[in-house]
Amino acid sequence: MRKLLTLLAVLVLSSVLAFAQTKLITGRVTDQQGQPVPFSTIRVKGTKKGVSADADGSYSIRANSGETLIVSGAGIEVKEATVGVGSTLDFVITRRNSSLAEVVVVGYGVQRKSDVTGNIATVKGASIADNPVQSFDAALGGKAAGVQITSANGVVNNPPVFRIRGTNSISLSSYPLIVIDGVPTFTGDVSMSEAASNPLASINPADIESLDVLKDAAATAIYGSRAANGVVIITTKHGKRGKTKVTYDGWVGQTKAFRLWKMLDADQYMMIKNEGVANKTGATAKFLPTNGPDGKEINTNWKDYVYHTGISHSHSLNVSGGNEATTYYIAAGYTRQEGIVVTNTFERKNFRFNLDHKVSKIFSIGVNAGYSNELNKAATSTGSLPGQAYSTGGLGRIALILPPNIGPFNNDGSYNVNGAAIGPMNNVKPGISYYNPVVLIDNNHSSTENNHIQGNAYLQLKPIPDITLRTVYGVDNLNSDNDFYLTPLNGDGYPGGEAINTFLKYKRWIWTSTAQYDHIFADRHTVGFLVGTEQQNTTQIGFGLDRTNVNDAYYTNAQGGWTDNVSATVNNNTNGINTQNYLVSGFGRLNYDFDKKYFVSGSFRRDGYSAFAPGRKYGNFWSASVAYDIAKEGFWANSGIGKIVNTLRLRGSYGTVGNISGIADFASYPFHATKLYDGSTGLYFSQAGNKSLTWETSKKTDVGLQFSLWNDLVTGDVAWYKNSIDGLIINIPQAGSTGIPSLTIPMNVGSMYNRGWEITLGARPVSGKDFRWNTSFNITLNKNMVTALAPTVPSITYTTSSLEQTSITLPGYSIGTIYVLPTAGVDPATGRRIFVNANGDKLGYNFDVKKYYDLKTGAVAKSIDPVKDKRPMFNAIPKYYGGWENTFHYGAFDLGILATYEGGFYVYNGTQASIRDNRFWNSSVDVLRRWTHAGQVTDIPRIVYGDNVSNGSANPISENVQKGDFVKIRNASIGYTLPTKLLSKAGISNARVYVSGQNLVIITKYKGPDPEVSTNGNDTQGQGVDRNSVANGRTLTIGLNIGF
Amino acid sequence: MSNFKKNAMKKYIYQLIILSGVALAAGSCSKSRLNPVSSTDIPSNFVFLTKDRIAHQVNGLYAQLKVGNLLGGRGVIYNDVRGDNFINMTGNGVTALLIWNFSVTGSDAEINNTWNAAYNTINQCNLFLEGMTAGGDTVVKDAALVAQYHGEAKFVRALAYFSLLQLYAQPYSKDNGASPGLPLRLTGLTANGHNDLPRSSVAEVYTQILSDLNDAEAGVPDDYGDANMNVTHAHKNAVVALKERVYLHKGDWDNVITEANKIVPATAPFKAPSGVANALAADLKDVFTKYTTPESVLSMPWTGANEQPGTQNQLAYYYLPDLGNGEYSLNDDGIISDAGWKSTDARRAFVDTDGDGVSWLRKYPGGDPYVDWVPVIRYADVLLMLAEARARKTNSVDAQAVELLNAVRHRSDPTTTFAPASATELINDILHERDIEFLGEGLRGPDITRLLQTFPAKGSAGAIDPSNPAYIFPAPTSETQYNHSW
Repeated sequence: MRKLLTLLAVLVLSSVLAFAQTKLITGRVTDQQGQPVPFSTIRVKGTKKGVSADADGSYSIRANSGETLIVSGAGIEVKEATVGVGSTLDFVITRRNSSLAEVVVVGYGVQRKSDVTGNIATVKGASIADNPVQSFDAALGGKAAGVQITSANGVVNNPPVFRIRGTNSISLSSYPLIVIDGVPTFTGDVSMSEAASNPLASINPADIESLDVLKDAAATAIYGSRAANGVVIITTKHGKRGKTKVTYDGWVGQTKAFRLWKMLDADQYMMIKNEGVANKTGATAKFLPTNGPDGKEINTNWKDYVYHTGISHSHSLNVSGGNEATTYYIAAGYTRQEGIVVTNTFERKNFRFNLDHKVSKIFSIGVNAGYSNELNKAATSTGSLPGQAYSTGGLGRIALILPPNIGPFNNDGSYNVNGAAIGPMNNVKPGISYYNPVVLIDNNHSSTENNHIQGNAYLQLKPIPDITLRTVYGVDNLNSDNDFYLTPLNGDGYPGGEAINTFLKYKRWIWTSTAQYDHIFADRHTVGFLVGTEQQNTTQIGFGLDRTNVNDAYYTNAQGGWTDNVSATVNNNTNGINTQNYLVSGFGRLNYDFDKKYFVSGSFRRDGYSAFAPGRKYGNFWSASVAYDIAKEGFWANSGIGKIVNTLRLRGSYGTVGNISGIADFASYPFHATKLYDGSTGLYFSQAGNKSLTWETSKKTDVGLQFSLWNDLVTGDVAWYKNSIDGLIINIPQAGSTGIPSLTIPMNVGSMYNRGWEITLGARPVSGKDFRWNTSFNITLNKNMVTALAPTVPSITYTTSSLEQTSITLPGYSIGTIYVLPTAGVDPATGRRIFVNANGDKLGYNFDVKKYYDLKTGAVAKSIDPVKDKRPMFNAIPKYYGGWENTFHYGAFDLGILATYEGGFYVYNGTQASIRDNRFWNSSVDVLRRWTHAGQVTDIPRIVYGDNVSNGSANPISENVQKGDFVKIRNASIGYTLPTKLLSKAGISNARVYVSGQNLVIITKYKGPDPEVSTNGNDTQGQGVDRNSVANGRTLTIGLNIGF
Repeated sequence: MSNFKKNAMKKYIYQLIILSGVALAAGSCSKSRLNPVSSTDIPSNFVFLTKDRIAHQVNGLYAQLKVGNLLGGRGVIYNDVRGDNFINMTGNGVTALLIWNFSVTGSDAEINNTWNAAYNTINQCNLFLEGMTAGGDTVVKDAALVAQYHGEAKFVRALAYFSLLQLYAQPYSKDNGASPGLPLRLTGLTANGHNDLPRSSVAEVYTQILSDLNDAEAGVPDDYGDANMNVTHAHKNAVVALKERVYLHKGDWDNVITEANKIVPATAPFKAPSGVANALAADLKDVFTKYTTPESVLSMPWTGANEQPGTQNQLAYYYLPDLGNGEYSLNDDGIISDAGWKSTDARRAFVDTDGDGVSWLRKYPGGDPYVDWVPVIRYADVLLMLAEARARKTNSVDAQAVELLNAVRHRSDPTTTFAPASATELINDILHERDIEFLGEGLRGPDITRLLQTFPAKGSAGAIDPSNPAYIFPAPTSETQYNHSW
């Protein structure tokens, strides 16, 4: 690294000394609106001298007075001007075609879109700015080929499932690397309360200029060991030269739950349950009505206590502008958003300051700084976040299964409680162990408050026109405060109450230095060369206080009077966490093109990471790519086909990248830990580690074709890709009897691939003066296949929320295949649930005597054994997904509709098991179809009280797996741009009013509320599971954009 | 060159040098940051280097045995709820419901967690013994201490295997231990590749247990000189008491008597003649509130705050309706209805009948933070085991057996004296006494299975006879899925 930089310094010095007798001409290339034109080419006519302007339109070139300079480039009209007496020459050019001159953000730089050989999809910030979401990733669904966003549940600010080109890891995270203004940021749910907290919510979507999704090796290999899952680069807005602009964007809206299950009412409930009791030998429970204070039988709709209409609003104000030397962008925002579950809210105050300043012709500095304060609240467990599916107090499930013939209050107004649980009222021995949700909603509270600072400062030097030296120091500091109070009256806090305060500090600094050399040789050979170094240091500290047994019910936080204190558990560590990791790298990239027709690129990165044992710390990653712009060939432009197909570009890349996302900072090392034995220290073996551990590697192949027809009337991009991943870290399960801590040893053994097609088609079918219609369609077809695990590991099972084994990963199937007992309906003769064992025999189950009967012979059969009889039956990973966006403009009106779709997958509807359980749990109206007499053909078995086998609670059954394919109208908005004549009187330059809706319509055969669901969050092995989660709500907003 | 150019060049060169310097500095990486040392975990190569850490490792072995899923909580609860003295009240699948009604399957978390906890303990013992032999012995130097540590590790290992046998394997008496037993892990494991190990027979596991206990008996001290240590660590009498229990489960009455005779005199007063002065406590309540009476031969301690069994693992959580969650009430048709157990018996204080007529076990005072020590072996058990062995071996109304039985009964009920007319009656009286005395202490289930009795029906759970596969715990999937030699 040092050697390379020294060499570069020498190179620069020698060119400095080789000045000829010409003068240095500098200037800027702008368009007729005053906007800079990036990367145009400036040549001295009649010579071989040429330079490339930078992203800001600035150039410098040596020429004599009297010589002519020519400006040319993609998408602009050629312009000439003669060098006069002075040394400044600016150009104002006319744009011909805007899209090709677009600039794309690549790793550690920017490139013209027409020069890029990798596969990068760009989403403009403007297209997501007004979405009523808490974080920008939730708005990316359907906007870029290859990107799959699944909003996991209706809890506010939970991190959506984010995948680029399929699931690319098994044991580590498959979440892409998110880089915000050059700083890789923290991702995942950082909350330690009942609320969810996605750190990406710290960036106000209104402050985002663009999101660039890097997908193939050519684009991602420069990020080396962190690139296997794709990279998303977020660039925040920068000021533009010219008059200061002020913009206000605001909206207000409401969110409601929809498509909820229909449950039995009190009379139906008692009838069904008493029927079940009559059918069970020895059952003594009785389900009887209780009269409420009005004298009528209690008939509670528990959903009314859990769900409400959430009201949200958001306001963003920004000021931007600048002059020749300095540009700035300052913004402030406030939003408060309520979810569909009562007490679940998200509130953010954010502030941003981006400044760029040219100190001299060759020296510039800048700073990007953002501060955000977020408050995520949820009084009690929603039962929807990963690990919560079986929380006794989970509101998602409680809203459904509590008996409707009891209420939250006794007739005297006191809470209906029985110890930690809700009181049974007149029901006899129902064994109700679930909590009274109203007590918890009224009295519990929990929240996560984040203070997040993200930003960087840079120095840039251009000693000679062709060389840019830049050093950037960035930080990402997230302080997260979690508060948690459990009332002693009922629920998990009964009887003593509990208050927990946890504080987490995530600190990262990153220091990147790069040198970029750009030159055009002989007017035809463009060379770009980048070399750089980077260090990144991350620290995580977390600790807290867990207090129990309150002295007086008056105290509701951890700072009150409590009897007992222990250290709070952070990330499964009872002592808290205090850890760090460090990444050091050197990287380089070389771009070459000839005549802007033939392109070749290569990149290289060497990473050293602290988590791996000595001897395994370093890895090398690289890519090679080519592109061929056929349509630029002379023969093409002159031919008949050239008139129709005006752009045709072939592209191919190959490379190898790595994945370390989510690996523990000391995963490789063996450790002992301490615990107490009668108050004395006990030391025990706590982690086996593995000295050979290293990163997962992904070999990415990408072949693509870009085209545009009829002067960009139709544009398209077709790509075929393959990610071959091996060295997958598999936590090799150890047999229980080995006694190895956590019964796993991590090893790099597995392999998997994702292979498929991405097709993006855009068209401007109508573009008249009064009426315009743009459409953009994208589809990704992805096949995920696990090819090998480990010789001793034929399969890896996955257990949802530590309780229900729902999924299995094994070679020959996609990751996280739904793993259930096959069932074949209900036996019309006996009303028993039919299970199919491994031999294919159909067995009817009788819960009364807990035996299985062979349907053919009637004899008692060997009981169904989940280990032998469960089968990997259903694919949970969508085989195709994408979006279709249409925008219409008619006069001052605009209409936009975004539909998203996913298909070719199944969802395990575990909630359906919950609502058909035959214990005291309320059931959905489906059970009214239950079997009652011989010969009846139905899908609901005979009701036997206590039976939690036939409905699929004891073990998951195929009866509860449903196709998840859906099409959603994800966004629709209608806007009206007010006439400028009217506005200019008030000093307003533009204003638009709009109405929009989110998650409006779901077309699907899935029986649950929403097939877009993930009870297991971003977990790679547990997708497609819906267990007791609160579903996404439907949002309507009205908003205003004003520019001053 | 012109002055202008000279100055311009100087400016460029200065700026270049500054920036290059900055870049070069940035390019230097930090070797120490690339090789961090964890501040919150102790590297494993440190733990045999000092005497203190070795002593702490021994504490750690007991601590692993004591976890909430094993002898500090659920291991004891499971053995009791399988029996006929408890009725499930909450129908909650995570608090032993399926174990209580014998419908639990091998994939159930409870089956796997207890198995894994026991084998984790066994692996810790194996690693400790190997580490001691490899260098720890030299660090400790003191021969007596070395023998003690080796002895304690073998004791813990033996107790872990024995606890597993009681739940996951067929009783010895079924076929003289010929049934498949457990994989016998005797070497420490730290890496991948050792999943496959076939099961040794029940008899072979017993042989290993007894071999370990014999070694332990020779190594551990007579007396730790500290009341707490004498209950929480194995001393000679504790090892002997466990041997007595192991032989009892094998039906080897002769050896039961041989072992018991080391710690039980021929006649009353019954007090261990050597080593720790184990004897019956005057008031049985003291055993469950004061924890370190001479009656407790071995118990698993809980001290609150940073040393708790964990949520839903605490005995009082299961048995108390007010200071716990009332998961299990006492079965009216179980031992509490025994006519011979008088209402004046001090042990009736442990049976609390509420206003609805439901009875609860109030032996463990409980309440957050649940500091109830969990008994493993009590002296009363030592006496009754000897009594039973004598009655069975002599097949007569053995005088010492009767005396032992009466000693235990008189401690709580001085008004009742047993005078059985036949050996059968004597044995039944002893078994009844065990049922009363050890209610809620995890001995009812093993007492049923070692004698191949049928688990009686209770509440909505049916009777389970020895031929029913549910008689013993199913094989855990955490084992069967990965151990291909099972």
